[in-house]
Amino acid sequence: MNRALLFRTWSWLSLRAAVIGVALVAWGWLMPFLYGQFSDVIRDMVTTNPVFEQMSSFGSGNLFTLGGTLTLGTQHPLVIAMLGVFAVGTAATAIAGERQRGTLEVLLARPIPRRTVYLTLFMAVAVIIGVLIALLLVGMYVGAASQSLLDELPAGQLPLVWLNGVLLWVAFASFSLAASASFDRAGPAIGLSLGYLLLNYFLEILGSLWTDAAWSQEYSLFHHFQVAEILDGNADPLDLAICGLAVALPLAYALVRFPRRDLAAPA
Amino acid sequence: MEPMPSDPGDPATTATGAVPVISTRSLTKHYGRVAALTDLTLDVRPGEIFGFLGPNGAGKSTTIRTLLGYLHATSGGATVLGMDIATQNVEIRRLTGYLPGGIAVYDSLSGSDALDYLADLQGRAPHRRAELCERLQLSDAVLKRRVRDYSRGMRQKIGVVQALQHDPELAILDEPTEGLDPLMQQSFYAILDDLRAEGRTVFFSSHVLSEVERVCDRVGIVRAGRLMAVHEVADLLRRRRRKVSITWRGSVPDLTDLPGLEDVRTDGGRVTATLAGEVAPFVRAIASPNLEDLTIEPASLEEAFLEYYAGGEPDGVEGLDR
Repeated sequence: MNRALLFRTWSWLSLRAAVIGVALVAWGWLMPFLYGQFSDVIRDMVTTNPVFEQMSSFGSGNLFTLGGTLTLGTQHPLVIAMLGVFAVGTAATAIAGERQRGTLEVLLARPIPRRTVYLTLFMAVAVIIGVLIALLLVGMYVGAASQSLLDELPAGQLPLVWLNGVLLWVAFASFSLAASASFDRAGPAIGLSLGYLLLNYFLEILGSLWTDAAWSQEYSLFHHFQVAEILDGNADPLDLAICGLAVALPLAYALVRFPRRDLAAPA
Repeated sequence: MEPMPSDPGDPATTATGAVPVISTRSLTKHYGRVAALTDLTLDVRPGEIFGFLGPNGAGKSTTIRTLLGYLHATSGGATVLGMDIATQNVEIRRLTGYLPGGIAVYDSLSGSDALDYLADLQGRAPHRRAELCERLQLSDAVLKRRVRDYSRGMRQKIGVVQALQHDPELAILDEPTEGLDPLMQQSFYAILDDLRAEGRTVFFSSHVLSEVERVCDRVGIVRAGRLMAVHEVADLLRRRRRKVSITWRGSVPDLTDLPGLEDVRTDGGRVTATLAGEVAPFVRAIASPNLEDLTIEPASLEEAFLEYYAGGEPDGVEGLDR
């Protein structure tokens, strides 16, 4: 780990992280608020019209329990977009973007092994994701408290929710950073990383909307982050293992690939 | 064409006994089937400014990037400061200052922040920064501005400072005067002169012949990925042919038998020719009361280079700037 590179990277990302952090706190707060204020109304609507039942579920989440609502909150496109800014946008441009701009030249002229550069950037993005997930959970906790729903939100399970969420999003960041280390331009790295994220999302949503395709959810990383199950004390260690593997494989690939890459002079 | 006086493969150790600062042995780099660098064997002596000269695409940057670990050699090997480029690359970079060709610096930072950041990454105190900034006219006010507001020349100055601010044992400079105005080029040459006086070694790639002639002790000529020759610049200039123009009063004597004089052309009382070798014997031979005017054009590296390339691929010559 290189301290100067780590702190400079955080400095560059700090404003973006602060804005998204505030948005995630607000989003996290909104989920228990919606559940507290409207769950009865929604439940009534569902009993009168089965179409609403389908509409009130999204991914693995629903609006009938606090856990289901929080699961829905972590799988909503808005959250995907906010966390994707770092897990895809920042990670996919971390190396390829510097290479494209030509600044990787002066960085790699310093006495820092490429693996150290890579691990430092990985750590910089992973820590930011960790903080953002924590802020999302803080928002959820505050929202539950404001709606007097803390009895449905076992605080002891929140660290596990945090860990699972971090592993999920760091897995996407790990893939994106590996793509970034493999291309000379940011475009292909962003495209590949975004495709990976969207494919996972598509498989999860497809399975939730179409029961015949429910099998597809098993192949989505999003399916391995179930807030409701963790809060209920039914966390599946396999979910953590799968997300951990999705972190480790691209990381291992990049740590082998990046130091061996020939970096020709930028065009 | 006169045969080249030195063999590219001559190791400096055989001539001076000094351990080369850069030593390559059959260094080869291929991109797939494309040979970017072939069988490069070269020694750069301690304390010299070595010019690596060749047209664009000749393999200069490939050589530098292989020495610094950006590229991995296909075959052969090299040492820099006595360390193997394949296994001790990080330590090499710790002791080296590198100015990449067409340098890009972090646009969002101010000049001074960019230099601070790069010094932090280098892990060595920027002892020379103040002196370099003063000589390159990078004032505090300029350094406080963001790099994105800099002209190309100012970015290049920042590039020079970041490469040399930590007082490296070896400076590797890839076309360092690109974008610098003539005044700043002179300041830069003076900085190189000082580095040489302090015993630092500079490996200097350029396609600008006049600056290599101005600053370098030796020059390696690279073409199509192959090192064609290595010369002392002074020796190259001394050996090259000169253009001679002589005007006589009255009849023109027969000059065809004068040693070293070739391509003699007579136009009335004026004779033009090319002279190979020493000037003094020639001047003594033509000394006469009838000699009205004598012009011997100063030898330039550019002409030596063009002469060397005569009969070669035209692209190799056209790519050179004067």
